[in-house]
Amino acid sequence: MLGGLKGLGVTLRGALRPKVTAEYPKEHLPVDDRYMGFPALTWDFNRDEPYCTGCMVCVRYCPTECMTATMKDNPKFEEGVSHRKKIIQKFEINLGRCILCGICVDVCNFDAIEMSLEHERSERLRDGNRVGLPALLDMGKKYQAQVGWRQSKASPASPNEKLEIKAAANPAKAVDGGAKEQPDSDSGEDVT
Amino acid sequence: MSFMEILLAIVGLLGLFTALVVVVLSLTWMERKTLARIQQRAGPSIVGPHGLLQPVADAMKLATKEDIIPSYANKLLFWMAPVFVAVPAFLIWVAIPFGDKLAVMTLDLGLLYLVAINGIGVVGLLMGGWASSSRYSMLGGLRAAAQLVSYEIPIVIVILSIAVLVQSLSIDAVIAGNTITINGSERVLPGQAAIPFALVMPMGLLIFFVAGLAELGRTPFDIHHAESEVVGGPFVEYSGAHWAVFFLAEYLNTLIISALIVILFFGGWSWPSPPGSLFGNELSSTLTDFIGVAWLMVKTYLVAGFIFWIRGTYPRLRIDQLMAFAWQVLIPLSFVNLLLVATVMFYGWPLWVMTAFSLPIIVIVGLVVQRSRGVRGRPQTVRILRRSAGEIGRPMTSIDATATDRG
Repeated sequence: MLGGLKGLGVTLRGALRPKVTAEYPKEHLPVDDRYMGFPALTWDFNRDEPYCTGCMVCVRYCPTECMTATMKDNPKFEEGVSHRKKIIQKFEINLGRCILCGICVDVCNFDAIEMSLEHERSERLRDGNRVGLPALLDMGKKYQAQVGWRQSKASPASPNEKLEIKAAANPAKAVDGGAKEQPDSDSGEDVT
Repeated sequence: MSFMEILLAIVGLLGLFTALVVVVLSLTWMERKTLARIQQRAGPSIVGPHGLLQPVADAMKLATKEDIIPSYANKLLFWMAPVFVAVPAFLIWVAIPFGDKLAVMTLDLGLLYLVAINGIGVVGLLMGGWASSSRYSMLGGLRAAAQLVSYEIPIVIVILSIAVLVQSLSIDAVIAGNTITINGSERVLPGQAAIPFALVMPMGLLIFFVAGLAELGRTPFDIHHAESEVVGGPFVEYSGAHWAVFFLAEYLNTLIISALIVILFFGGWSWPSPPGSLFGNELSSTLTDFIGVAWLMVKTYLVAGFIFWIRGTYPRLRIDQLMAFAWQVLIPLSFVNLLLVATVMFYGWPLWVMTAFSLPIIVIVGLVVQRSRGVRGRPQTVRILRRSAGEIGRPMTSIDATATDRG
C-alpha cells in the first residue's frame, strides 16, 4: 500500500519534469560532439586544400567497399605552397552502403576523413546517397566548425616554408642556394 | 406523463447524448496528454491547438475504416455486442443529477437503477467475445465476465451502505440529505452539502474506487483486454465503427465511475458550496444550475484525471491476484462497511463514529495485505504417469513433474 503511494509520487514527479522528446521534423535533438555519423573529408584551412591525398588506405580497408578514390599530382606542390605531392582528385562514398564503422577514420594517416555529426539522410533515388568530393568536403567543413576540430599531428612544412626556415636559420647559405640539406629542419615538425 | 414532459425528456436525452460524446472525446485527449506527461513526452500536439482536435481525427479515422466481420463469426451477436456495451453506458446518465432536480429523469429508485443498468455491459463483452469465434476474444470475454461479476459485488454493497446511510434509494437524497421518522421521532440525515460522505465512510470510498477501476477494466485491472495475454480480449476481431463504439463505452464508463464517486462521496453538485448561495448571494435559477453542473464536472474530471494517473503508474495484476483481491479483501471489507453503517444508523450514533472505526480498519487491512504480498498457495505437484518402452506390462512409474518448489 505504501509502495503504491510511492509509485504515484514517482509518476507525479516524472510528470513535472520537462519533456525529453522533440517533434522530429520541426525540432532536431542535438547530438554529442563524439557522435559517429557519416564519414566526411576534412579541409586543411592552412593550405586551403583537402587533407586527403587519395592514398586509398580507407578504400582498401572499408568492409562494405563503399568508397572509391583517385589521386592526382598536387598543383600547389609545384607552386611550393603545399607539402602534399599528391592530392585527391575524385572521391565518392556510397553512404547508403556505409555502416558507420569508423575503420576509415582509424586507418587514415592524414586525419583526412572523420565521422561527422550528419546522421539524417533520406533520398528518393537509389543512387541519391552516392556522395562526391565537394559534398563530402562540405560535410567535413561543417563538422570541423561544429566540434572545433584540430589536426592530431602538425603538417610538415611546404617547400616554400622550408626555404624560409633555411633562410631564417642560416641567412648566408640561403643566399648561396638551398641545395644543401639541413637535417634538423627537414622534418619540419615544429612548424604549424 | 404529459406530452410536454415527454418532449422535454427527448430534448434532454439528445442534449445529453451530444454532450457525452464531446466529453468522451475530451477524455481521450486528456488521457493521452496525462500519460504523455508522466512519460515525459508531449502527447498529441499536431492536430489543432495542443492537439485538441486529435480525438476528432481519430473518430473520423475509425468511422471511415473498413468494418471487418470474421467469416466464422456469429454475425447477429457480433453486431449486437457493441450495442449491448454502449447503450447501458448511455442509459445510466438518465438518472445522474447534474444539479438540483436537473436530471433527465429523477428516479426514486435511482441507486437501484444504477446498479441494474451497470450490470448489463458484461453481457455485451461476453457476447462479443463469444461471437468473434476467436480464442483470444473468447478468453477475454470469460475473463471480463469473471472480473466484472466479482467486482460488481463490492460496488453494490457500498452503494447499499450509502442507501442505508441516507435511508433512501434516491440519488437526490444522497446529495441533498433526507428526513426520516424513527419510532415517531424525526431525524434529519445531513446532506453532502454539509459533510461529504468521503469523510463519513472513507472505507466505502476506497472500496468503491478500487472496485470501480476493476469494473472499468482500467489499468491495474485490465486483464480482460490485456494486450500481452489475450491481445485485445473481446475486441480482438472488431475494427472500425464497431470498435469505436466499444471504445466510446469504455470512456463513458470511466466518466460514470468518476461521476458516481463524485456524487456518492464528494457531494455531487452541492459541495464544496451549495450552488444556490455562492458568496452568500441569492442567484438566479439558471446560474444556480450552471454552477451545479460546473461543480460536478470539475470534480468528475479531477477523479478521471486521477484514474489516468493510476493508469500511468501501476502495472497489470495477474488474474489470480485480481480475483483473490476481490473475494478475499474487497468483499469482506465492503460487508464490514455495511455492518458499520447499519450499526451506527440503528443506534442513532453520530456519523463521526463511522469515520473513527473506518480509518483503523483501513490501516489494519492495508498492513495485512502488504504483509501477505509474497504468500502464495502451495505449488501443486503434478504427477505424470509414464510407461517407458522396456517396461511394458509392468506397473506404471510416477515422475514428479514439478521438481522445483518455488517456496
